Amino acid sequence: MSGDAMIEGYARALFEVARAEGTLDEVEDELFRFARSYESSDSLRNVLTDEHIPAEKRQAIVEDLLGGKTTTTTIQLVSMVVGSGHSRDIPAIVDSLVARASSAKQLDVAEVRTAVELTDDQRARLKAALENATGKSINLKTIVDPSVVGGVVATIGDTVIDDTVRTRIEQLKSRL
Amino acid sequence: MSLFTTATIAAGRLLPGSEEIPFDDKGYITPDPIFPPLKELVPGTLASIIVFSLLVWKAGPIIKKSLADRTARIQKELDDSAAAKVAAQDEAARIRQAQGDIDSERSRLYAEAEAQAEAVLADGRARLAAEIAELEARAEADIASAAGRGTDELRAEIAKHSGFAVDAIVRDTLDGAAQQELIENFIARVGASQGVAS
Repeated sequence: MSGDAMIEGYARALFEVARAEGTLDEVEDELFRFARSYESSDSLRNVLTDEHIPAEKRQAIVEDLLGGKTTTTTIQLVSMVVGSGHSRDIPAIVDSLVARASSAKQLDVAEVRTAVELTDDQRARLKAALENATGKSINLKTIVDPSVVGGVVATIGDTVIDDTVRTRIEQLKSRL
Repeated sequence: MSLFTTATIAAGRLLPGSEEIPFDDKGYITPDPIFPPLKELVPGTLASIIVFSLLVWKAGPIIKKSLADRTARIQKELDDSAAAKVAAQDEAARIRQAQGDIDSERSRLYAEAEAQAEAVLADGRARLAAEIAELEARAEADIASAAGRGTDELRAEIAKHSGFAVDAIVRDTLDGAAQQELIENFIARVGASQGVAS
């Protein structure tokens, strides 16, 4: 099985499980956050991909990490991927899952990164603003990313709306 | 008895009047210790004249010729010596001439070597001057390049530190309220726009 087929296979399986459980939106969001945390954390990535650590122990680490913070379905799904030895592919699998879920709901995924957590009100207004700007129904995924320093960067498909302090600083450095 | 005595006795017996000469076993005894007796003197003289005449007649030309030959040989040696002297003088003159030529050749070689050395020295001076000029030009170019590079590096360093300073200052000034204001501005600006993506 090729890498893409394997990723699609896992994404479809996770999607079907979450939909069957009736927690697709919640699980999708939790998996998305976990995938972004996985990408940004070297230590988490190293632990979950270390072949010298038994799979059971890595699964236990996942359960300890997510226990009480996410749904049981999310924990089980992540544990399954880690136990099968595909920890490296978690971000790709989750992205595929999110794309599949959004497609099923006829939504476009908008990945929004901010330096601080958005309130529910801000999320709702930002979603409405992006839908107004793009003319699409949006599946909003927010990520807290301190590297943006301040402001917001939104990615919808190939479109990037960047109004972050990081970008302005970079532009200023380039001019300097 | 000795042979001389025997011959004397025989001669006394042969010569006339020899029986008148006192004779003993030791030979004749003459009364005059210088001149022989007249009877011996006359035949002796005649015999001597005959012998000498024969000698002059027969050996004279030979002796004369020998002396003439010796004179000629000596003269020839003298002539040869004179010729050798002349040749030696010629050789000496030639050697002196050659020595003079050598001196002039040496002088010419000295002059030529000096001229060549002067030319080499002048060429070396010219080449050295050219190399010095080239080195100076290169050094000036290097200095200018280093100055430019130093300016560029300084500018880059200033830019880098300025970037760090801006980054630090912005991060320090971005408090919660500023963060919220940036987010609200973004929402308002995006909400006010349409047709961002088709």
